[in-house]
Amino acid sequence: MTTPSKRAGLTRRSLLQSSAALALAATLVLAALPRPASAEGKKVIIGAFADGGLTPFKDKIIPLAKAQGFDIQFLEDEYGVTLEKWFADAQSGAGQYDLYLLDDPWVPQFGAAGVLEDLGAAGIDGGDKDWIGSMIDMGYWPPRDGPRVKGFENATPTLVTVPFVGDLQTLTYRNDVFTDGAPATWEDIIAKGKEGVAAGKIKYPVVFRGVSGNPIVTSWYPIFLSYGGQFFDDKWNVTFNNDAGKAAADFFVGAMKQNAPPGVVEFDSDQEGAAILGGDAGAIIQYSGNALKADDPTQTKVAGKLDFGVVPKKEKAIAQMGIFIAGIPKSAPNKANSVEFLKWYTSPETQAKLAEAGSIPVKRSGFAVSDPGNRLIPVALKQLDAGALPRPRTPDWAKVEELLGIQLNKALQAGSGGGAALDAAAEQVTAYLKQAGYYQ
Amino acid sequence: MSKALVRKDRLQGAGLDGALPYLLLAPSLLVVMAVLLYPLIDGLRASTKFYRYGKPLRDVGFDNYVQLWSDPQFLNSLMVTVSFVASAVILETVLGFALALFCSREIAGIRFMRTILIIPMVVTPVVVAIVFRLIYASDAGMLTAISQTFGGGSVEILGRPLRAFIGLVALDVWEWTPLMFLILLAGLQSLPVEPLEAARVDGAGGWRLFWDHTLPMMRPILAVAIVLRTIDAFGTFDQVFVLTRGGPGEATRLLSIFGYDTAFKFQQTGYAAALFVTMGLIILACAMAAVRLLKKVEAK
Repeated sequence: MTTPSKRAGLTRRSLLQSSAALALAATLVLAALPRPASAEGKKVIIGAFADGGLTPFKDKIIPLAKAQGFDIQFLEDEYGVTLEKWFADAQSGAGQYDLYLLDDPWVPQFGAAGVLEDLGAAGIDGGDKDWIGSMIDMGYWPPRDGPRVKGFENATPTLVTVPFVGDLQTLTYRNDVFTDGAPATWEDIIAKGKEGVAAGKIKYPVVFRGVSGNPIVTSWYPIFLSYGGQFFDDKWNVTFNNDAGKAAADFFVGAMKQNAPPGVVEFDSDQEGAAILGGDAGAIIQYSGNALKADDPTQTKVAGKLDFGVVPKKEKAIAQMGIFIAGIPKSAPNKANSVEFLKWYTSPETQAKLAEAGSIPVKRSGFAVSDPGNRLIPVALKQLDAGALPRPRTPDWAKVEELLGIQLNKALQAGSGGGAALDAAAEQVTAYLKQAGYYQ
Repeated sequence: MSKALVRKDRLQGAGLDGALPYLLLAPSLLVVMAVLLYPLIDGLRASTKFYRYGKPLRDVGFDNYVQLWSDPQFLNSLMVTVSFVASAVILETVLGFALALFCSREIAGIRFMRTILIIPMVVTPVVVAIVFRLIYASDAGMLTAISQTFGGGSVEILGRPLRAFIGLVALDVWEWTPLMFLILLAGLQSLPVEPLEAARVDGAGGWRLFWDHTLPMMRPILAVAIVLRTIDAFGTFDQVFVLTRGGPGEATRLLSIFGYDTAFKFQQTGYAAALFVTMGLIILACAMAAVRLLKKVEAK
């Protein structure tokens, strides 16, 4: 008689034993392999969305940070996916980032969810008078001024983010078309732009973003503000469809569209940037991303012909402010390094370097440098003084912007009906906010 | 035999042998439960809750499901999705079948042609969407360039609702007709030749042969191909995300895009879960109806 093991060459038991031995051997070999040496320095993993406004930081400030002993990992994503990606990271505690460079309207969403570190408690002084006041205000949740959403009426404002790169809308115009300097009113842009078209200098007086959602609302915003519009009252009742708002919307979908390139309904920042830098358009209201390329002959066909000014006015000349703002998630693996990095980065010395590199600083002292790296910087300060407002501080801004943007986009397709679009959007926004508990 | 060996054999037969099948199945079962069952149950649970700031605040029962049917954005997305799926699947089926019929003949160069025809299907959907964006773009797109060459103006496709919708369907048809072609070609090649030859001997022409013999025999395969493609088309996301992001207005906002925005951009987790459960039920209903139809066809 033979035993089972002798009958067959391979039994289940021997198979299991061999597999276990193999797994053990593989584990030992892997453990024995030399590991790649970790980079030296204080590691900080920064998450950012791709935007030209961060180019000076990437090119000039990160090398300086490395010289200070920081090991910076800069992870970039497309704008359209960063909000959801980082919010999921923060909420799940995955700890993939040490620092988010947020778009400022996202601060309420992250703040309300309680997923960001208290930077005041970490030693960053929000009361420092050197901060640009309107910028540091955006770092607090709940906001220090203005209406607050339900559940945060009595909460103490906490510094959950700090301004990182200052950014706001300014006017970029063709100095060979607007020969008397920056156009002062919206009507000037159209009238003088038409003369430029007739003279064959440009193809279209103006260009803007028409895509639904954030792009179209961003383009409409300075017109809306300059007409005296206001989004909400202090009880979160919708007021954007008042007479001023409707007049701004009608002007936007009517006169502005008629004087913009065909297909502007589908334009986003790439297309509007190409129109102004390619020499087709006479004027644009834009953030610094494309404006910073205005003097670079490798990036524009009209280098030397583009100048900057404050946004045109109707009643006022108010731009939208939209800064890059830094927050440290509670799940950050290198919190102490991140705080140290932010302290170094927001010091007057580094802010001066940032201005010299061509970015808009977030502290007043940064504007005082004798040789700013971009001639947009003093214009940005002028715009700040003329008027610049952030978007409403609510965690539901993304939804509000979506609803409003869809209706504005539909009116833009039609080339009329801006006022009716605002009424439709107001109804939808009110229904949404009601369901979210704003009016209880 | 020694006592120790007898004991070993007994242990092996009674203990390990009995448990081994379950032990071997356990990892697969655990994986299935972790990646399929748990998310499903968690999604169903989330769909009955009201979320704010990414956190569940209270139970709302079926309120999220009820609210969906009075939400104009959901109803619009449902309408757009159904129109998209119907248009795309019908066109892909007709074209795929026509190509399969053509390629089922053994003529010179047909193997090469079959290979060429399936290329679109293997290109990454995001890449396809980027390429089509470059074709459609009104400022620097290929169609605009062609139009301008012939003295025309800018071709606005992505800025007009109907054109954008048609453009999206065209993209899907370009990419997924090869799948229908492949399934239907395999079906055609597996058909018995005797009935066709007999009909030919009886004097049936090409059209009569197709209508009375090929099509009836192909019905079960057509039904399977349509069901598979319909389920897949309902979940279309990446092409729309890159090409139009649901615009202009809401003209190409499929349920998948609306659900994605609701869940991740607006953090209405409970509402989005209800939306996706509803979407799953709609797809399931479609699939069941198609299977029932298939059984009826087979019974005939």
